[in-house]
Amino acid sequence: MTEKILADKNRVVRHSALELFEHWAIALSGLVLLLTGIFELPVAKRYYIVTVPGLGWTADFITSLYLHYAAAIVFSGVALFHVVYHLLLGEKGLWPKRGDMAASVQVIKSFLGFGKEPPMNKYLPEQRLAYVGMAVIILMLIVSGLVKTYKNIYAPDLSWTVVLWATWVHNIGFVLFFLAFIAHIAAIVLKPNRPMVRGIFTGKVRLDYARHRHALWVAGLEEARASVAMSQERQKRDAATDEMTEESVASGPDAEDDALRNSPAAPADQAEAAEKSPKD
Amino acid sequence: MKNEKCSGISRRSFLKLGAGAAAAGGLSLPGRLDAAQTGKLATLIDLSLCDGCKDRDIPACVSACKANARGRIPEPVDPIPDPWPRKTVEDWSKKQDVADRLTPYNYIYVHEAKIDGQTLYVPRRCMHCDNPACATICPFSANNKRPVGAVVIDSDLCFGGAKCKDVCPWEIPQRQSGVGIYLKVLPGFMGNGVMYKCDLCIDRLNAGKNPACIEACPRKAMLIGPREDIEKIADERARAMNGFIYGRNENGGTSTLYVSPVSFDRIHATMEKKPGRPDMKPNVERRMAKTDAYGKAVLASPVLGLAAAGALGWYSRRRKPAKEGGNND
Ligand code: SF4
Ligand code: SF4
Ligand code: SF4
Repeated sequence: MTEKILADKNRVVRHSALELFEHWAIALSGLVLLLTGIFELPVAKRYYIVTVPGLGWTADFITSLYLHYAAAIVFSGVALFHVVYHLLLGEKGLWPKRGDMAASVQVIKSFLGFGKEPPMNKYLPEQRLAYVGMAVIILMLIVSGLVKTYKNIYAPDLSWTVVLWATWVHNIGFVLFFLAFIAHIAAIVLKPNRPMVRGIFTGKVRLDYARHRHALWVAGLEEARASVAMSQERQKRDAATDEMTEESVASGPDAEDDALRNSPAAPADQAEAAEKSPKD
Repeated sequence: MKNEKCSGISRRSFLKLGAGAAAAGGLSLPGRLDAAQTGKLATLIDLSLCDGCKDRDIPACVSACKANARGRIPEPVDPIPDPWPRKTVEDWSKKQDVADRLTPYNYIYVHEAKIDGQTLYVPRRCMHCDNPACATICPFSANNKRPVGAVVIDSDLCFGGAKCKDVCPWEIPQRQSGVGIYLKVLPGFMGNGVMYKCDLCIDRLNAGKNPACIEACPRKAMLIGPREDIEKIADERARAMNGFIYGRNENGGTSTLYVSPVSFDRIHATMEKKPGRPDMKPNVERRMAKTDAYGKAVLASPVLGLAAAGALGWYSRRRKPAKEGGNND
């Protein structure tokens, strides 16, 4: 597991490098798809976008199609990878839970100054809901896009009913994706959410923030760490020395984990200092 | 006589076509097992037979097409809203009689190619391409290739953005502003009318009739029939006149074959590409063909993503079996 408390740095590892890759591959290819999708509409000439230096290509639908396809390779490949990989590992932190609706209302209310946020897990209830929403939109776009691509290459006379469905699911998905993108950006601009932004760039968030806002998550991590520590303690006692060496080589990060475990929780001022350090 | 033989073929084909079209219209099951019956159609235009109807004011094919299409376009709204910001309005409603170029009211015209003191008459209309970009990348799928091979713009769904015209190597579709669905959406900002072009008389085909232009031609210079038959006839005639064929390779292949005793390089040389007046460049490329490799990679990408997830998932699970049970959130 990548999630890990780095108490002396006042950080918690929230996302693995792989997860960061998944997010940014989807985000960047999605952005290219959004833009080149817009340029598949006859807008570039009408809105004088072609006259902007460097944007002359936008009037050529075939050029946009190349880019749209190229980005779609990344987009649909990584989306499928994401779903299947995390299912295989049983990682379901982003799946909605019972009560997320009510809880997310509570969170939004707290933004407006009414009441307090409920104790939260790694993800906010609205993040889990948004995740499902985004997943549905992306599924719509990928499935309809694949039908359209198949039609372009192999079956220009594919049943018109199918083509019309694919086209309109794609067009509506495009609008929803655009709105979801704006909502996503709006959500990270909100002050209480800003500490999470660091996480999607570096993989880590501030420990004091996580303790305060994602109390359930941090508690779970600490609990897991304790139990792992206990079992390793036992292993250490039992195992022969050479085997132990092997183990610590195989799981390098755990050695670091061990070291951390023995250090006391960082006091607040130390945490502050770590926050300001340019290390990450 | 050859011509009679051909019209015989086409009549037979329409009996079959009737059944196929009914199946297609009724949203038949996927699988296209009806492909053989529906039959892909093709047309042939024999330039050795067309005389441009010099004895008439307007060639018979052109006036028949006009008559067939009359009343198709509703009266445009007045005034036609100015599109924003580029204020291009195309209004042909006061010039419906124009017959010497393609317009929203005129889907076929006859080009006169003067070569070596002789005149060759070349009827021009949509080629009904095999893989027409005008249809496949229509943002609303208003333009669509039907199983018989006709490429048809649905005037109820078209926004008149003219993308089809831009991606057609001959710039065939023509716009009438001030009509269509865009008026009901955001007329100032989106859309600008409806695109019109030859639809191979799809309604007549569905009713078991031949296209109006083909039926009207006094010289039987144009034929329609099952694709293989038309291909065969085109080859035979080209061989017999030691001539040339246009439309087989152009834009990736079309279902309109021109046969001519004069090379299309020379015919093309007599044409100046102007709005509504396409040229006839031999082997003009289907630009979208080059994107197909990327498209195939798109189709493969979910499978690749799946395989990668399976492989990496399996690897990670093997590597960290003891670590489960931790906090997944
Ligand atoms: S194709 Fe037939 S109707 Fe049309 S101009 Fe030629 S001879 Fe006349
Ligand atoms: S000739 Fe042009 S308008 Fe006609 S089917 Fe081909 S690409 Fe489309
Ligand atoms: S097939 Fe029909 S629509 Fe096309 S040119 Fe002939 S008459 Fe006109």
